[in-house]
Amino acid sequence: MLRHETILLLVLVAEWFYFNAVGRRFGTLDNTFDIMRHSAEIGLLALVMTPIILTGGIDLSVGSLLGLCAILFGKLWRDAGMSLPMAAACTLLIGAGAGGLNATLIAGLRLPALIVTLGTYSLFRGFAEAITHGVDTFTNFPDSFLALGQQHFAGLPTQVWFFLVVAIGVWLLVHRMTFGRSFRAIGFAPEGARFAGLPVERRLVLAYVLAGFVAALAAIIYTARLGQAKADAGTGYELFAITAVVLGGTSIFGGVGSVHGTLLGVAAIAVLNNGLVHARQPREVAGMLTGVLLLVALGASALPKLLAKLRPPRHAPAPLSSPTHPS
Amino acid sequence: MAPLLQLTNVTKSFGAVRALRGVSFALQPGEVHALLGENGAGKSTLIKVITGAHAPDDGTIEIGGQTITHLSPNKARTLGIACIYQQPALFPDLSVAENIALRLERTSLLHRVRRSQRDTHARELLHRIGAEIDPAAEVRSLSMPEQQLVEIACALGAGAKIVIMDEPTASLTQKEQHLLFAVVRDLRTHGVGVIYISHRLEEIFALADRVTVLRDGETVGTNRVDEINETALIRMMVGREVTAIYPPARNTPGETRLALRGLGCAASGVRGIDLELRAGEIVGLAGLVGAGRTELAQTLFGLTPADAGEIQLGGQTVRIDNPRTAVAHGIAYVPEDRRRHGVILEMPIAANITMAIHSQIFPGGWLRSAAERKLTLDFMRDLEVKAAGPQAPGGSLSGGNQQKVALARWLATQPRLLILDEPTQGVDVGAKSEIYKIIRQLAAEGLAVLMISSDLPEVLGMSDRVVVMRGGTIVAEYPRGAEAHEVMAAALGQKQREAA
Amino acid sequence: MQKYSRELTVAGVLAALLLVLAVTAPAFYEPQPLLSRLAREAPTLVVACGIALVMVTRQIDISIGALFAVCGVSAGLLASAGWPLAAVLAATVFVGALVGAINGVLVAGLRLPSIVVTLATMVILREGLRWWQQGAFINLPDAWQWFGLSQKGGQITLIGCALVILAVLAWASRHLAGVRFLYAVGSNAEAARLAGLRPQWMTLAVFVFMGALTGGAALMNVVQSPQVDPKSGTGLELNAIAAAVVGGVAVSGGRGNLWGVFAGVLLLACINPALTYLHVEAYWEKAIQGAVILLAVIFDGLRNRRNLS
Repeated sequence: MLRHETILLLVLVAEWFYFNAVGRRFGTLDNTFDIMRHSAEIGLLALVMTPIILTGGIDLSVGSLLGLCAILFGKLWRDAGMSLPMAAACTLLIGAGAGGLNATLIAGLRLPALIVTLGTYSLFRGFAEAITHGVDTFTNFPDSFLALGQQHFAGLPTQVWFFLVVAIGVWLLVHRMTFGRSFRAIGFAPEGARFAGLPVERRLVLAYVLAGFVAALAAIIYTARLGQAKADAGTGYELFAITAVVLGGTSIFGGVGSVHGTLLGVAAIAVLNNGLVHARQPREVAGMLTGVLLLVALGASALPKLLAKLRPPRHAPAPLSSPTHPS
Repeated sequence: MAPLLQLTNVTKSFGAVRALRGVSFALQPGEVHALLGENGAGKSTLIKVITGAHAPDDGTIEIGGQTITHLSPNKARTLGIACIYQQPALFPDLSVAENIALRLERTSLLHRVRRSQRDTHARELLHRIGAEIDPAAEVRSLSMPEQQLVEIACALGAGAKIVIMDEPTASLTQKEQHLLFAVVRDLRTHGVGVIYISHRLEEIFALADRVTVLRDGETVGTNRVDEINETALIRMMVGREVTAIYPPARNTPGETRLALRGLGCAASGVRGIDLELRAGEIVGLAGLVGAGRTELAQTLFGLTPADAGEIQLGGQTVRIDNPRTAVAHGIAYVPEDRRRHGVILEMPIAANITMAIHSQIFPGGWLRSAAERKLTLDFMRDLEVKAAGPQAPGGSLSGGNQQKVALARWLATQPRLLILDEPTQGVDVGAKSEIYKIIRQLAAEGLAVLMISSDLPEVLGMSDRVVVMRGGTIVAEYPRGAEAHEVMAAALGQKQREAA
Repeated sequence: MQKYSRELTVAGVLAALLLVLAVTAPAFYEPQPLLSRLAREAPTLVVACGIALVMVTRQIDISIGALFAVCGVSAGLLASAGWPLAAVLAATVFVGALVGAINGVLVAGLRLPSIVVTLATMVILREGLRWWQQGAFINLPDAWQWFGLSQKGGQITLIGCALVILAVLAWASRHLAGVRFLYAVGSNAEAARLAGLRPQWMTLAVFVFMGALTGGAALMNVVQSPQVDPKSGTGLELNAIAAAVVGGVAVSGGRGNLWGVFAGVLLLACINPALTYLHVEAYWEKAIQGAVILLAVIFDGLRNRRNLS
């Protein structure tokens, strides 16, 4: 797996050099900050998508949840008269609760993650549209709040600090704590994990609730960056998140993967998007390339397995560790 | 008349394990030929060779008098060989009639499906075997025995000449068994040859014409059923020179660690279990596949919680609803299905060993690689695990070493009761004796051990006490020094007194 | 009877809903608006039939909305260039089938999970289309509207086409060996392989077929307006999947009845106008759609648990 991340790093470096040569403003510090600002929300989603995919699951609803949380945040502040910190706290709780809905259905009722999150993908976006009657937007936030998304703090764009905290937190969770072990075990061997006494349902709940919580955080940052909250916030973000995760070397089947890989994946996509703008390419090209990149990443990981299968099958000896049939 | 099937001197090895050593076997047309042997004797390997799933290393296969080379599953099917396994390969969401049709009809895409024809055909086949199964029923709604009957119907419909039945009555009711016997007799009158694998001697005497006994990959003998009796058969199955050395028992059992009173779990078929397990004692749990031993272990471990009776630990009645509770009470279970429930092959040895003790070795949830490494190295040394290092993936280990790692995982929980389910299955002789030493040492250190094993010499050699299960409950108990044929007889359900 | 309990339940709910509408909002049944509504749902019905077969094979395809738009635009461009109807139909179906083949090769050939593959192709198609057309509407020649028939005639033709396709596929799903193989593959791919059914080729075929149907459905949509909207098809996949799930098609494959899908399409189509006539805002549509999917899948999940125990 280290090889995969090395390749990605090389791709990233190659991108950097290419765009530096092609675009005039690309390599500047200002632009780098721009990249960071624009990728913070997707980066957050990709970070929390990683544990979920490690368990062999998926969450298609994070983008919609971002939109719902953004408008709820705006509504709590503007219409319910809450202070911004209060509204933010409530939004974070709501996000966690929404994640809890996914968790209940997936871990509790053992329903397939794919169709559950497809349903909540619709449900959350639907709530957002219904609450705003499709047209309402929330604006006129105070400058102190907008600083979160548009200003700097201690030398970096403010939201980057939040991103770093979450990145470090998720990295520690996956790579330095037992949770990560549990996630991988669940991904590799769902039944085996249970037999080993791991609290499978509790770990899954953690993964999905965390995703909801961070989606809410991303929503607040998004609102601060754009200065407005609309129901269509975060549309399509789940694709970028999943692409970043898969690009970073996490297997869609679970078990294998890393958070630093995801970070590299986010960086690669962010630099690509930004670089293409500087190279005067239309933004649709960025979207298309992201899709192509996802397919290439998937194909690259599938190829070795496929080639192994195509080699002429010898009569392989029965694995000695195979179970039980009486001879 | 040429035999339907003739195997001459067939040899098959898997790495160091010699599963078949020069087996010769012949099946005549219109014959029911029983194949008898303990677990591990080579029966399933023999079947796999016949169905083309494995190619023999040596020896010849003749079908209908013709020598066949490069037998593959497809070829075997076209040559009229059908095998009814215990796990049917059916389509759960489709009807019985459709399942049969999909197996038997040609696979062109554009032909029109005649539902009524399919139904009639299915009805016919099912009627011929006397199965009262509605052809329109969804296979998912059928019980396992009923699914087996559907498989038999498929084999019939495919015009198989050689039908292999692998423990077909293992989960059938009396009525269904009679059905099956009638089917088998019917096949015989049509010139079909049936290879019938079963542990139930009364069935073999009722149904079979000849019986072949396998032991350790060799044919011990083939006899006409009316020329032999049960005692002789059992002796043929188990008699062998003791090659493995079992460490001697050195201790007297201590306090009672676990007491079961009337324990039962309706869902898994375990009922009325009364058992005491004492510190320092190895209790061997013998019985045939399907007797309920693994089910009992899984109930004790909280995977399929009990709904009747009591579990008493150290005098207190406890409720064990999930594995975590079991571990908290000091019960550890090393599962039988190593591939699905054992060592996770993609994860390193160290991670596997510490998997059940996260809260103990990693307080607060933080991984501590130094502590993990030390624990892993200690276990690898104590259990003599041969591996590249503590970070080597589980999949890089041999079967025996994987088993040791699985054992280490559970020993790390510092259990007071250790349940081992087929601890040396698929493990070569060298690793086996190492594992035996370890188990005896653990008992000497005060652990109560419940060892489930289908290897009779192993059970007899290792256990301080042998408990025999049959049909979900305990049927016999023997102290040390019991005779193999006694235990086997109890497992088979033979009455103790029999004509010599 | 018990076998069709799901489809009957959906039909029952649909009937109840229609009854409620008849009583509280009889304007719903005015012929011309009703006809228009049904004609607008015709492409959805066609696509839902396709996605049902994909799901029966234990796969999924969320790129159909984007493909729908691409096919629609292609049809519009060819129509403006003067191509005759038959040629445009062939071309559109071909484009759809081609994209379906790409999906199919990636899923069946490389054994990649269909959710991620079709997620990627969805974005590629959508962004590609936007790049190509820049969001511009395409004007159709007059003769193309409603196939050159009157509005009413055109609508009836479209509804008729959709119903014919539904009927043919419903028949095929019960009586055509090839389609029954899809059910087998979805139910137990390994057993299918052992039975010689070639699951990988069947999977490829179902994706190609899905693409072709999408192309046809796109054309059915194109003739309903004087212009082709490059943003058509947004949310179509969710709509189709919801209809299929409600109609009893299982995500796990191997089961599902196209008449149930029909009832599902009608039910979902009624929700929006029902909301309007009940003076609930149309913006609740997506939320209700999501809730419907969740309820259907929870219902199935609980029923399976009950069956197992």
